[in-house]
Amino acid sequence: MSDHVSPISLYLTIFFALMIGTALTVAAAFVNLGTFNFPVAMLIAVFKASLVVWYFMHMKYQSHLTKLSLATGLFFLAILLGMMLIDYTSKDFTPMPPLIESTSLIGGTH
Amino acid sequence: MSDVIAHPGRDAHAAHHPAQQHHFDTMPQQKEAAVLGMWVFLLTEILFFGGLFVAYMIYRVWYFEAFAEASRRLSLFWGGLNTAVLIGSSLTMALAVRAAQTNNRKWTVNWLALTMLLGCVFLGVKVIEYEDKFANYEVPGANYNWLYHEQHAAAEGHEGGAEAAAAGEHRQLRMTPEQLQRTTQLYFSLYFTMTGLHALHMIIGVGLMLVITWMAWKGRFDSEYYTPVEMGGLYWHFVDIVWIFLFPLLYLVERHT
Repeated sequence: MSDHVSPISLYLTIFFALMIGTALTVAAAFVNLGTFNFPVAMLIAVFKASLVVWYFMHMKYQSHLTKLSLATGLFFLAILLGMMLIDYTSKDFTPMPPLIESTSLIGGTH
Repeated sequence: MSDVIAHPGRDAHAAHHPAQQHHFDTMPQQKEAAVLGMWVFLLTEILFFGGLFVAYMIYRVWYFEAFAEASRRLSLFWGGLNTAVLIGSSLTMALAVRAAQTNNRKWTVNWLALTMLLGCVFLGVKVIEYEDKFANYEVPGANYNWLYHEQHAAAEGHEGGAEAAAAGEHRQLRMTPEQLQRTTQLYFSLYFTMTGLHALHMIIGVGLMLVITWMAWKGRFDSEYYTPVEMGGLYWHFVDIVWIFLFPLLYLVERHT
């Protein structure tokens, strides 16, 4: 049940992990990783968000029903983001705007 | 008459917790219903912000150079500080819930008050950042002027502006200033919409915290019933998560060149 009481040390650990994650994402932004800058930034953000959901928001101690509900919502978010981007970046009927002939999703221009 | 409908375990009205509603059999059942309901609400919020993230992604793909250039106009110092402040407020929020779980009324109130304070610090920093955007004609609309920032800095002899201009040349932009004037407005439109809606959520969050702090102060909560603190916490952490994504997307588009 969600009435599980986490130790203060756990909350402090998560807090410091989130701070380190923030420092990492800033540091990574100043390193030229080419096409990997964007995935790395998003990976760190997803990791930080997962820590918050799992420990701060007590998802770890919730019922399967609640966990499944969250998973469902994230699934639809993935559809929203994924399908829209596939359409807008790959289809002829949604042409790229006239200003730029080629830009890539990950950020690197070529 | 209440005894017409017989229900096991429900006739002993005096025995249950005062906060237990009559349509729930037990406190844990009531708690789980609240948690599930809150998460369903947060999912609608995720998809609500999701639409904005999609819009952001499409325009970022289309006009990456404009997004990279405009993103450099944001202050990493203020953005980073706000990220730290918000993560700190999530910690104090989690500790407030923990204090409520352990029957610690005094610290429930204290941690909630600290959470609100950090929330207000965040909003204050946001005001400083917005003010800077208005002062530099970087708010989309009739008065938007992409070149004002560099020209103004150069005219006043600020080194930063000259450096920024030099770095801009160094990056060999393919967009003309006229094109940037148009496309960077897309970035700033999304910047103001996304951070503005996030700030609105923060304001609502502080309002919720005020009520919950007052309830905690009145001694409404104990280790069996602290649902409002927990639900307020879920909302607060959710708003923190939105910022965890907004920070790299808006402030760190391309900083390495």
